[in-house]
Amino acid sequence: MRAPTQRYRNILDFALSSLLRRKGRNLSLTGVYTLVVFVLASLIFFVQALKREARELLVQAPDMVVQRLVAGRHDPILAAQAEAIRSIRGVLEVRPRLWGYYYDPAFGGNLTVMANEHEPIAADAVWIGQGVARNMRVNEGDLISLRAYDGLPMLFLVQKILPTESELVSSDLVLMAPRDVRSLFHFPEGLATDLAITAGNPRELPTIAAKIVERFPDARPILKAELLRTYEAVFDWRGGLMVVVLGSALLSFVIFAWDKATGLSAEERREIGILKSIGWESSDVLLLKFWEGTVVSLTAFLSGILLAYVHVFFFSARLFEHALKGWSVLFPRYRLLPALDGYQLTVLFFLTVLPYTAATLVPIWRAATVDPDAAMRT
Amino acid sequence: MRQAMLLPALLLSAVSLLPVESKSRVDPKGPAPEGRCAVCGMFVANFPDWAASITFKDGTMAWFDGPKDLFTFMSDLTRYDARHKASDLVDIRVKDYYGLKATDGRKAFFVLGSDVLGPMGRDLVPFASEAGARDFLKDHRGHRLLTFLEVTPELLKQME
Repeated sequence: MRAPTQRYRNILDFALSSLLRRKGRNLSLTGVYTLVVFVLASLIFFVQALKREARELLVQAPDMVVQRLVAGRHDPILAAQAEAIRSIRGVLEVRPRLWGYYYDPAFGGNLTVMANEHEPIAADAVWIGQGVARNMRVNEGDLISLRAYDGLPMLFLVQKILPTESELVSSDLVLMAPRDVRSLFHFPEGLATDLAITAGNPRELPTIAAKIVERFPDARPILKAELLRTYEAVFDWRGGLMVVVLGSALLSFVIFAWDKATGLSAEERREIGILKSIGWESSDVLLLKFWEGTVVSLTAFLSGILLAYVHVFFFSARLFEHALKGWSVLFPRYRLLPALDGYQLTVLFFLTVLPYTAATLVPIWRAATVDPDAAMRT
Repeated sequence: MRQAMLLPALLLSAVSLLPVESKSRVDPKGPAPEGRCAVCGMFVANFPDWAASITFKDGTMAWFDGPKDLFTFMSDLTRYDARHKASDLVDIRVKDYYGLKATDGRKAFFVLGSDVLGPMGRDLVPFASEAGARDFLKDHRGHRLLTFLEVTPELLKQME
C-alpha cells in the first residue's frame, strides 16, 4: 500500500514536467503575471510606506497650527495673539512661526524659507536642505544669492547642509535668522506666518480650537489629526487614481489568462485524452491542472513581490514617484523604510491570484471532463 | 482648495521638528506595563492619562486606572488590600487633566459629571488647581467641583 501522499507527489511531478514541456508558453505567462503582481505590489508598498512615513513625521508636529484668514486666504497673523492664546486653559506652548515660499527662477522650483526656531543662526547665514544644495551645486562655506522682494540680491553664507535623514521634509528648506526672513520678504515686524500650539492634554484640542475661533473669528485652527487625515487622503487619492489605471491592466491580464487556459492546444487535449484512457480520473486531471496553476501563480506572485520590494525600498519606487509624490521640482532623495504587513500581502494575493484562478477554473474543468475518445480523435 | 492650503502648513509643521524634542506623556514613575488597577483589574499602562497611585509606608504602591477607582479603594481598604491600614497611606498621586502631570491627590480638585469620560466611563476628573477645575466645569458641562475630602463613599455609589 503506497502512502496517500504518493499520489499527490506523482501528480505534482507530472505537472512540473508538463510545464517544462511547454516552456515558452508558460514562461511568457509567468512573465506577464509577474509584471502585474510587481506593478500592483509596488503601488501598494509605496503608498503604505509614504503614509507610514507621514505618520512618523507628524508624531513630533505641533498639536495645532493657527492661521489667519483674510477673504478666505491664508494671511499673516498678529504675533501678539500668541499671548491671548497662551492664556487659554490647557495650552502648554504657543510659538509664532515665520516662513514663506521663495520661487527660484534658476531651476523653476519653490524653496521653503523659514526662520529657525530651535537654534539661532547668524545674520546673513543659512542652513539648507540637501535638495537645495544639489540644485544650486553649493557646499558648506559657499555663498548663495536670493532675490529679495525689491529685486535686489541678498547674499547668504551656507553654514550647514541639513542631514540626509530628514530629507523627506527638509529637501527644499532654507533656514535663516528671523530678521533675514523679514527683510527677504518684506515681512512686517509683529506679524507671523502662523502660530504653532502645543496642548498639555491632546483631548482638550477641540475645546481649545473652539475657544480660539470664538475669540478670533478670523483664525483657522488646524489640528494635527486633520493634517494626518489630509495627508492620508491625498496619498489614498493618488494611489486610487493609479489603481484605476492599473485596473485595466489587471483586467487585460485576466482576459489573457482566460485565453491561455481556454485555448488548450490539440496536443494538450490529446494528452488529457490519453491520460484518461490509461485510467486517470477527471479529479486527477483537475488536480494536475491545479498544480500547474499553483506553480505558475506562486512563482509569479513571489517573484513579483520580491521585485516590487526591491523597487520600492531600494530604488525608492523610481517608476511611480512622479505620479505619486507630487508637485515639487525638488524631489527629495530618500529611502523608504522597508516594512511588509500581512494585510497588504493578503490584499495583493486576492487581487492577483484569485482572478487568475477564477479565469482558468472553468476552461480546465471543461477540458478535464472531456470524453477521452473524442479528445484523441480531434 | 482646502487641501492645497493645508498641505504647506502640514509640511511646515513637520519641518519645525527637525531638532527632535521628545515629550513623554507618561509619568517617569509610571505603572509597569503588566500592572493592573487594584480595583477593576484593567491594565493601567493602557490609560496613562488617567493613572492614579497610592504609595504605602512600606514602599509598596497600588495603581488605578482613574481617580474613581482610587477613591473606591480607599473607601473600602480592608476589602481590596487587607495588608495595609488607612494610616499606612503616605502619598496619593493623580494626574492633572490639563497638564497630564502627576500631582498630590490630597490637594487636588475633582469635577464630577462632565462630558469627558475616563477608561471606566464616568470618572472624577482631577486638577492641580482650582482655577483649572472651574474652567473645566464650565467648558465640559460638569456638575460639581469637589475637593479630596468631599468625595464620599455615598457619592461614589451614586456614580455607579
